[in-house]
Amino acid sequence: MTALIELDGITKVLKGQEQPRTILDGVGLTVNAGQSVAIVGRSGSGKSTLLSVIGLFDRPDSGSYRLDGQEIAKLPERRAAKLRSSHFGFVFQRFFLLKHLTAAQNVAMALVNGQGWLPRRQRRSLVMEALDQVGIAHLAKSRPAKMSGGEQQRVAIARALVRDPKILLADEPTGALDIETGTLVIDALLAATERGCGLILVTHDRDHAARMGQIHDLVDGVLTERVTVR
Amino acid sequence: MRRLSGRFRSSLIIGIQGIRARKLRTLLSMVSLFLGVLAVVVVQAGASIAERALLADLEIQQGYDGTRVMDMPMQQNATEVLTATVRGREDAVAMLGVSGIVGEPGVLPVNPGGAPLDQDWGPAMVCNDQGCEPAPGVKGQAVEVRLTALSGDVRKFRPYRTVSGQWLDFTRMPSMSPKLVLNQPAADAFEQYRVPAEMRVGGAAANVTPQFVGVVDDGDMQPRAYVRLDELTTWLPPSRMSDPNTGGEMRLLMTQGSPVEPVVSAKLKALGVEPYVQTIETRKEQEKQLTLMRLVFFSMAGLVLLIGVAGILNVGLATVGERVEEFALRRAVGTPRTLLAGIVLAETLLTGLLTAAAAIGASAAALKVVTMLVGDSQPILRDVQFPWEAGVAGIIAGIVAGVLGGFVPALRAAGIPIATVMRA
Repeated sequence: MTALIELDGITKVLKGQEQPRTILDGVGLTVNAGQSVAIVGRSGSGKSTLLSVIGLFDRPDSGSYRLDGQEIAKLPERRAAKLRSSHFGFVFQRFFLLKHLTAAQNVAMALVNGQGWLPRRQRRSLVMEALDQVGIAHLAKSRPAKMSGGEQQRVAIARALVRDPKILLADEPTGALDIETGTLVIDALLAATERGCGLILVTHDRDHAARMGQIHDLVDGVLTERVTVR
Repeated sequence: MRRLSGRFRSSLIIGIQGIRARKLRTLLSMVSLFLGVLAVVVVQAGASIAERALLADLEIQQGYDGTRVMDMPMQQNATEVLTATVRGREDAVAMLGVSGIVGEPGVLPVNPGGAPLDQDWGPAMVCNDQGCEPAPGVKGQAVEVRLTALSGDVRKFRPYRTVSGQWLDFTRMPSMSPKLVLNQPAADAFEQYRVPAEMRVGGAAANVTPQFVGVVDDGDMQPRAYVRLDELTTWLPPSRMSDPNTGGEMRLLMTQGSPVEPVVSAKLKALGVEPYVQTIETRKEQEKQLTLMRLVFFSMAGLVLLIGVAGILNVGLATVGERVEEFALRRAVGTPRTLLAGIVLAETLLTGLLTAAAAIGASAAALKVVTMLVGDSQPILRDVQFPWEAGVAGIIAGIVAGVLGGFVPALRAAGIPIATVMRA
């Protein structure tokens, strides 16, 4: 079986300072379809940078990055945008919902991105399906200001799921939530893995990490530990 | 094509969402741009209205562009040649001018020489072989007019505006009592001197009683009356129309390529008369004068528009600064840089077009109000319509302002690093 994501020897150096700083140092990681992976580590250890590289927000300075067996480490931005749309779903610590849009419109944002065009009826159906998956279809017409933190994060997850991504990248998705709500959010993310979607979760929270299939520890840019939980 | 359409629709949808989310900012952008677009619309509308008014005046005095005009010196046989050649033709009209006095019998006209009533051209003169001397008699209730006999409907060459009554009817049998259409100065003169009228024309077989059937605006300051040539020749032989002592004039108006021109030319040359032919190019001559004027006003309007563009640019940059996270997020979900730039451009373009619509609407409404209030006293504004060229200029100004004002913010939006959302 071809791995969904294969990183090998990924290095990222932060330049433009007095002394270049290595953020990622020879990182190797493999994620298969339906697999959940937690990346834990202290602040500044390079977790978000690693997620940026995986999510094609940023390019590695060296190393190999294969997505579905295809080398994409040096992909031009235009093709990277296309892959972000077709393969990835993103969930951030701050939900990044647009306050002037309703929950449904925020979710639809991922569909109205210039990568193909869907008729309004089809868009609406996909949006409602995604909102239903995270249990907040009844809030479709609500604006973010009227929703709780947990509800907002679930709208963000629906936005990540609406294009039926192959892999979900979640950067501290529970960081702004209480324990109970955070658990509900992790439930929603794990539910996606049951449908074959890969999940990479960056978190400080060891309890949430323990619910993932694998846990990796990132220390000073080096992925040092691999714990298989299940 | 399908991809382009998807991107276009996406940018339009997101652009409209952006405008709706920032109504006040959009309004401020529109306010800053409104005066600029309004200036362009007003200058274009003013230039078009002025051009049309000037052209209309020139056309009634000189003729439509392309009209061939043949002038010829007075010669007794030439009149007969001319009238015989153009009789019954649609592509040429002969204009033969003589002097006529209409009014109280046996008196000198109040305006000797057919002068405008407010001007004094000196006393009436009688000329013979020994020379000229003041005409005997006393001034009375009579007006001297330039009597222009027409072989056909001249309005297809010169668009005289009917002021009242009707124009000469060339389809009916000629009347024994010549029907006259007066120009405005002649009508004003007869308004002042209302008398039982007879018409005296030098060389006529009798002094007939004319019928006034209408008044036209022909752009002439001199009192003038138009008459059918065949009605006048009942009483005045064509050969007498070319008497230089009566101050006659002979002119032929033709369409381009009319076969009348070479025929008349040849016949006149055979009589020893050298005709002078020219083509009317009113618009061309007028455009030279208007171009410079328009350039000056458009430069001024362009400056005002530039200030508007600076306003929209300022608001656009501020808005992009506020929406850094939104644009980074959009990139994260796969929106290409070009589409992000397109979204910003779509917003400024829509703002520009909305402003253009407002400016065009305001100008059209203002023109309507002005024509209603002062249209009666200002002939240039009478029945004037909002020129479509001004609408087009406004839309172009709105689009140009939108593109110029949105270009830099669009570039900035496209350059926002995607990792912004990761570090927030």
